[in-house]
Amino acid sequence: MSRRLALILLLCLGALPLAALAGFPVAYAPIVVQPTGTPERYEFDLSAALRQAKRTNKRLYVYLGASDCPYCRKYEAFLDRNAAELVPEFAKDYLVVDLRSNLSANAQRLYIRIGNSSLPYADFQRSIGDERARQLVYPSVWLFDANVKPLMQMPAGTGTFETVPEQLEILRLEQ
Amino acid sequence: MKRSQPSRRAALQALGGVALGTLGARALAAVGGLPSAGHADSSSEWERLREHLFATRPIEANPDASAVQLIVPLRAAYGASVPVKIVSKLPQKEALYVRRLYVLVDKNPSPVAAVLDLTPEVGQADFETRLRVDEYSHVRVVSELSNGQLHTDSRYVKTSGGCSAPPNRDALHLIGKTVIKLTGALRLNEPNTADVTVVHPNDTGFELNQVTVMYIPPHFVSTIKVSFARRKVFDAELDFSVSENPTWRFNFVPHAGGELRAEVTDSKDAQFVGTLAVG
Repeated sequence: MSRRLALILLLCLGALPLAALAGFPVAYAPIVVQPTGTPERYEFDLSAALRQAKRTNKRLYVYLGASDCPYCRKYEAFLDRNAAELVPEFAKDYLVVDLRSNLSANAQRLYIRIGNSSLPYADFQRSIGDERARQLVYPSVWLFDANVKPLMQMPAGTGTFETVPEQLEILRLEQ
Repeated sequence: MKRSQPSRRAALQALGGVALGTLGARALAAVGGLPSAGHADSSSEWERLREHLFATRPIEANPDASAVQLIVPLRAAYGASVPVKIVSKLPQKEALYVRRLYVLVDKNPSPVAAVLDLTPEVGQADFETRLRVDEYSHVRVVSELSNGQLHTDSRYVKTSGGCSAPPNRDALHLIGKTVIKLTGALRLNEPNTADVTVVHPNDTGFELNQVTVMYIPPHFVSTIKVSFARRKVFDAELDFSVSENPTWRFNFVPHAGGELRAEVTDSKDAQFVGTLAVG
């Protein structure tokens, strides 16, 4: 590789947007769901993940992150740092679903699809009895069984479970 | 209760841990990794409160012996709206009843969220409301019985930013609207459950107006007096630790038809009334 080519490559790597590094760490084998309908709407289809959850008798750990959200990076970095300890705990009961969004996808533009039903964020939250209908927050986590029944009311954001013991509290559904 | 003024830095740090998709705003994250505690643990704030409110009086805290139970989730959807349920383990009878309930949030800027003064008309001294919880903290209830005994229960809650969360401003023209509703069909001579809700921002003084970048002055419901057929059911002295649009679920015992009435005062001395014809 010529010095010029190497330099260009380095510059390109340096210029990679933060978005390229975003997402649930691969060590957790997340099912990545990209939005459809952009940029007018960001629709995330959970149907395939739910089918897989039924087949494998697992719960879903649904993570909504935004490519331009520093608090998403913070949570993902925490997960990455503690993967050795946490990956087996996630793998016991959960399939991780990683919904890849960005901050421009607000509550009006973000849709969740399950089968033939596609609901905007607030309506979806109300349909499952989630108190976070009032405000869309990045990052967000939902815990579902394979029938989309919420397993626990989750807090807005992830700031209260960014230690290993607290992440384990969440996985164990400790109220 | 003395209210300490927050430093600008502290208030900003408390601004919450999330990026708000609806506002496009980017706020600070709730800090993970804070010290944890057991539900029954004490705290330095509680020790001070206890001395101030109850001096050296004994307080029964053993869950098997305490006459009161507190139900609060470990984590709530929002720190500004943490659901709290108080369950009394004795019926509200003339011979022995819950005379007063103190609701405390140890680490809030103003930790005494509510003091409820009860009568036997309550029938069953169970209450539900929503509180602001500003940081990882114990929420406590102290039940004072008519014989002077004190009983307590507590829960440790992991949340933050409850006192500085961006307020809703959807219904300013309705401030003070007070609504009372029964939760079920009327039953005479036994406890009936009702909700009283006051449309009110319950501003804490720690919320930042995101347009002017000025703090919104405190403005909150300070008292709610509930009566039925002109007989006092309970009086509540409240603070901004109660969530916006304060709601209290309570019981009362109707022996015949009458008016259920809530008289409300806020911190600017505005007065509001809500009524419900019962029976």
